[in-house]
Amino acid sequence: MNRITSHPVLDARGPRTEARFAFDGEAMTGYEGEALSSALFANGVKRFSEHRKGGAPQGIFCANGQCSQCNVLVDGVVRKACVTGLKAGMDVRTVHGVPALLTDDDPAPEARVETLKTEVLVIGGGPSGLAAAVELAERGIDVVIADDKETLGGKLVLQTHKFFGSEEDCYAGTRGYEIAALLEKKVRALPNVRVLANSPVVAIFKDRKAGLYIDYRRYMLVEFQAVIVAAGARERSILFPGNDLPGVYGAGAFQTLVNRDLVKAADKVFVIGSGNVGLIGSYHALQAGIEVAGICEILPKINGYKVHADKIVRMGVPVYLSTTVVSVEGDGKVERVTIADVDEGYRPILATARTFAVDTVLVATGLSPCDELYRQAIAFGFTAVKAGDAEEIAEASSAMFGGRIAALSLARMMGRKVEIDREWLDKREVLKSKPGDVIARDRVEPGDSWRPVFFCTEEIPCNPCTTVCPTASIKLRPRKGSLLDLPYFEGSNCKGCSACVAACPGLAVSLVRRVDADFAEVRIPFEFDASGYDLGVRLPALDQDGRFVEDAELVDKKYYKKYRTWVLTLRARTESAARIIGVRVQDEAVTRALPEPRYEYLPDDAIVCRCERVSVGDIVDFIKENEIRDVNQLKTIRVGMGACGSKTCSTLLPQVFRKAGVDPADTTSGTVRPLTLEAPMGELAGRVTTTERDDNGGRE
Amino acid sequence: MKTCDVLIIGAGSVGVPLAFYCAERGLSTIVIEKNASWGRGQNRAAIGGLRATHSDPAKIRLCQESIRIVAGLEAERGIDVEWRSGGYLFVAYDEQREKAFRDLLTIQKDAGLDIDWIGPARVSELCPGIRTDGLRGGTFSPGDGYASPLMTSTAFHRLARGAGAEFRFGETVTAIRTEGGRVASVRTDKDEYEAGTVVNAAGAFAADIGGLVDLELPVHPDCHEAGVTEPCERFLEPMLVDIRPDDESGNYYFYQTVTGQIVFCITPKPQIWGTDTDSTSSFLPLVSRRMVELYPRLRNLKVRRTWRGMYPMTPDGLPIVGYTEEYSNLMLAVGMCGQGYMLGPGLGKILSSAIVDGVGVAPQVFEELSLYRKFEGMELLK
Repeated sequence: MNRITSHPVLDARGPRTEARFAFDGEAMTGYEGEALSSALFANGVKRFSEHRKGGAPQGIFCANGQCSQCNVLVDGVVRKACVTGLKAGMDVRTVHGVPALLTDDDPAPEARVETLKTEVLVIGGGPSGLAAAVELAERGIDVVIADDKETLGGKLVLQTHKFFGSEEDCYAGTRGYEIAALLEKKVRALPNVRVLANSPVVAIFKDRKAGLYIDYRRYMLVEFQAVIVAAGARERSILFPGNDLPGVYGAGAFQTLVNRDLVKAADKVFVIGSGNVGLIGSYHALQAGIEVAGICEILPKINGYKVHADKIVRMGVPVYLSTTVVSVEGDGKVERVTIADVDEGYRPILATARTFAVDTVLVATGLSPCDELYRQAIAFGFTAVKAGDAEEIAEASSAMFGGRIAALSLARMMGRKVEIDREWLDKREVLKSKPGDVIARDRVEPGDSWRPVFFCTEEIPCNPCTTVCPTASIKLRPRKGSLLDLPYFEGSNCKGCSACVAACPGLAVSLVRRVDADFAEVRIPFEFDASGYDLGVRLPALDQDGRFVEDAELVDKKYYKKYRTWVLTLRARTESAARIIGVRVQDEAVTRALPEPRYEYLPDDAIVCRCERVSVGDIVDFIKENEIRDVNQLKTIRVGMGACGSKTCSTLLPQVFRKAGVDPADTTSGTVRPLTLEAPMGELAGRVTTTERDDNGGRE
Repeated sequence: MKTCDVLIIGAGSVGVPLAFYCAERGLSTIVIEKNASWGRGQNRAAIGGLRATHSDPAKIRLCQESIRIVAGLEAERGIDVEWRSGGYLFVAYDEQREKAFRDLLTIQKDAGLDIDWIGPARVSELCPGIRTDGLRGGTFSPGDGYASPLMTSTAFHRLARGAGAEFRFGETVTAIRTEGGRVASVRTDKDEYEAGTVVNAAGAFAADIGGLVDLELPVHPDCHEAGVTEPCERFLEPMLVDIRPDDESGNYYFYQTVTGQIVFCITPKPQIWGTDTDSTSSFLPLVSRRMVELYPRLRNLKVRRTWRGMYPMTPDGLPIVGYTEEYSNLMLAVGMCGQGYMLGPGLGKILSSAIVDGVGVAPQVFEELSLYRKFEGMELLK
C-alpha cells in the first residue's frame, strides 16, 4: 500500500474504518469516506479511464473536482473519483470510452428542489471567503458559505509549511492546515453563517439564484441578494507532448494526495515551474519520502520566494533555469521526462536535451483565477465582488485581508454604513507584494555567545522572527518601511533559545557561537524526521545555495512541537559554521539524467482540450482551414465541449492561435455558460440520489 | 461602396447555406453579420433536430430538401456533420394526442412523408426504458434525424467561402436606402453595399432590419432553454417529442447525438417574449423532472451545459419567405419559429434558385409562406 505512515510535520491519522472495494474486479482496501482517487492511488492505480478517442489512458489532473480527468465508473455511474467518498462494497471500474447508461428504469418518486434564502452567498470557503463571511456575519448580515470540499480552508488544507506574513495579522509561522482549522472554527461559531461544505456551486442564474450540488447528491437553489466569489484558482495546464499521460498532474493535486490524504503518490517526481507552488510541492514531496529529480523553469530566474528556492536547493534538488519540457513519455503512464534549454524565443534547443527517469511530472506553471461565476454575476447586474485568488493570485495571508475588504465593500454596495479600515488596504498591498530586492548581508563571525544568522536576503512580507524573540533583539530594519523589510539582529542579547530558528517560515535563520579555537556550533531548522539521527553522527552540511560545506557532527537536537520543527545543533569549523543552513536529505544520484536523452519531439501532439482530447495540431489546422477568429467556433472540433467547460484549455488557446499565425488580440473569446460542474438529471429534478439508496442496502 | 449580386444580412442557419448556394450558382455574394463569426445567433442555440414532419406542406417540402442536403454532406462534399437518420417519434400517452397525431398522418403522407403510427412495443424498441404505463404509441418518421448545428454551419461557411462568398463579421447594418421601389444600397457601420438582391436573414432581429425600410415584419422572438448531457453509449434512436403540456411547460423533446450526448429543450409556459438569453434557475429542475418522469434512466445522466436561445416567432408558426411587394429586390427569409436549422439548407437552395430563375421554381413555398398571407391558425407541430 502506498500510504505515508510517518511524516515529519503531519500527524498520522487517527484510527479509520477500512473499506473494501473492487477495481475492475480486483479486491482493494481503502478508508471509508476518503477520496476514491486517493484510495485508488494508495492501491497503485493511476489509470482511471480510457478516452473514447484512441483509448488513450487517463489519470488525475486537478484532484480538485474541476477537470473530470479522474472519471471512473462507480456502481455503473460515471463519477469524478476525486470528489467521491469511498464506501465499502463499491464496484469501481475503468471507464472505457463512452460508458453505457445504467438501465435503472423504475419510475422516479415525486421530488422538489428546495430553495434556501440568504442575504449574501459566499462561494468558496478558503482564506478569503471565510474572512469575508466573518466580517459580514459580525455586522448582522446572513451568510451562506458554499464550498466544494468537506474541510473548509481551501488550499490551506493542503499546505504543511509555515506561512509568511505577520503573526498578529495572518497567523504567520503557523502551518497552512492549522490556519484552516482556526478559520473554520471561527466561522462555525457564528450563528448567522450557514456552512454548506462539500457543496459546489454549479451555476448562477439570471433570477439571482445559485444552483448548488449539496454533498454531490442533492441539488438545491440558494436565492441571494449579493454574492462574493472567493472560489480560488486552478492550475494552468501546459503544452508538451505527453501532457495527458497518467502521472502528469498538477502540483495542487499532488499536495491533495500527499498532504491531505497521506498517500505516497509517487516514487520520483519532476516538477515543471519554479513558482512557490512548484518549490513548495517539491519540498512536500521530499517530506513525504518521495524523490525529486529536479525542477525546470522556462524563465532565466526562479519565480517563487528565494527562501523557498534556497530551501529546496539545499535539500539536494537542482533547479534548471531557462529550461523547458520537451516530452513526457511512457507506456500508458509516465516513465521519463525530457527537458532542454531554451533560446531567447523560449524554443527548446534540442541539442541540450536530457532525459530523467521519473514516474510523475508535476505541473506548477501558475494559477488562473476561478472567477467565471463572478463574471457571470456582473453580466447579470448582480451586487457582486470577488476576493482571494479569484480576484488576484497571491498568498493566503493577503487573501484573508482581501476577503475582509471585499466583504465590507459588498456591505457598502448593499447600503450598509461601514467604513473600511485604511490599514487593511495597506496591509493587503504589502502581503500580496511581489518579492522586492535581494540585499547582500554581511558575513557573520561566530562569537562567544549565540547570535542569529539570517539567510533571508530577499524582501518578502514576513516577520515572525521579530515577534517570537523573547528579548526583542530581532527587528526589521526600515528600508521600505513595511513588512517587506529584512530582519536584523539588533543588540547583543541572544539567549540561544532557537525560537527564531524554529519559527521562521523560510527556514532561513540559524544561531552560531564559537566553542573553542577551531570550532563553532550552529543551530539550524530541520523539517524532516530527525528522531533517527544519533548524536555524534556526521551530516552533510550545506550553505544557502546548496553547496557542500562540510560533514558536521550532530551534537544536539530538539523538537519544537509548536512549530513542528526540529532544531539541530552541529559542530563545524569556525570559519564555515555561519555559512551552514541545511543538511542534504536527497542523494545526488537521484537527480542524474539518463546517459543518453531518449524522446521523440512531437510538439503538435500536445493536448489542449483534455476532456475531448484535441491536440495543438488539430486546432492549428482547423484555425487555418476555416480562418477562425472566434474561439466559440473551436467547439466544432469539440474544444471546450467537455465536462470541464473549457476551464483547463481556455488559458492555452492564445498560444495555439499564435502558432496558427493569428494574433490572440484579434480573436473573440469563448462564451462561458452554466453548468460549471456536471450534475445528474435525477438530482436536478429534486431527487436525492443513489448514494442514499446505497445507505439503505445497496443498488440492484 | 461595394457591389454584389446578392447581399445577405445574417450569417446564421439560413444565411450561411444561402450564401453557399448563391455563390455556387455563380452569384457574387456578400454576407453581413454583426456577431464575430457565423452561427452565433440562434444557430448556436439549435439542438440539431432535422425533421420534415410538420403539418404544413411548404414546410414539409423545404425540410425534405434540407434533410437530403445535410444527409448528403458527407458523401457529396466529404464533410462530417454528425448526421444520423434516427427518425422523429411523437409519443402519445392520451387519447387526445393520439387522435391529433393520427389525424395529421393524412396530410403528412400526402406530402410524401415516410411516417406512420407505431404501437407501444415498437416505441419501447426504439426507446428502451421509456415509461410504458399509459403509452398508446406514436408517429414515427424514420427519414428524419439530427446533426450538429455547429458542424453544419461551419461546413456551409467553408463551402460558401470555397465557392467565393465573402463574409463580413462584426459589421452591423445601420441603414437601408431605397429608391423607386427597390433597395438601392445597404449601409453598415463599416461600409456601403449595392446588390441585385438583398436578403433579410437576420433571425431574431429580422423585424429590426424590416424597420429600416418601414416594413413591418410580424416576427417576435421568444426564449427557450436547452441543455446537453455527458455522453453515454447509444440507447435512444429517434428524437423523442412529448407535446403534453403541464402547469409550467409545453412540449419538450430530446435525442442522443452521434457523440452519445442527450440534447434537450422545453417550451416554457407561459411563453417568454424578448431577446434575453441569460439562463434561469427554473429550467433545469423543470426539464429534468419531465424527462425523468418520461424516461427514468435519464436520472443518472449528468447535465453538462445549458443555454438559452430565441425562436423568431410568427403569428401562425410558419416562416415568411419571398420577395416583398414594397421593394422588388428585397427578399425575406425570416420568422423560422425556432426551425431555422432544419429549414435553412433547403431554403438556401430554393431561394438561390428563385434569385437566378425566378419564384416559379417553388410556387407553393412562396405562396404559402408569403408575408401577405392571413397568418391564421397555428402550425400544429410547432
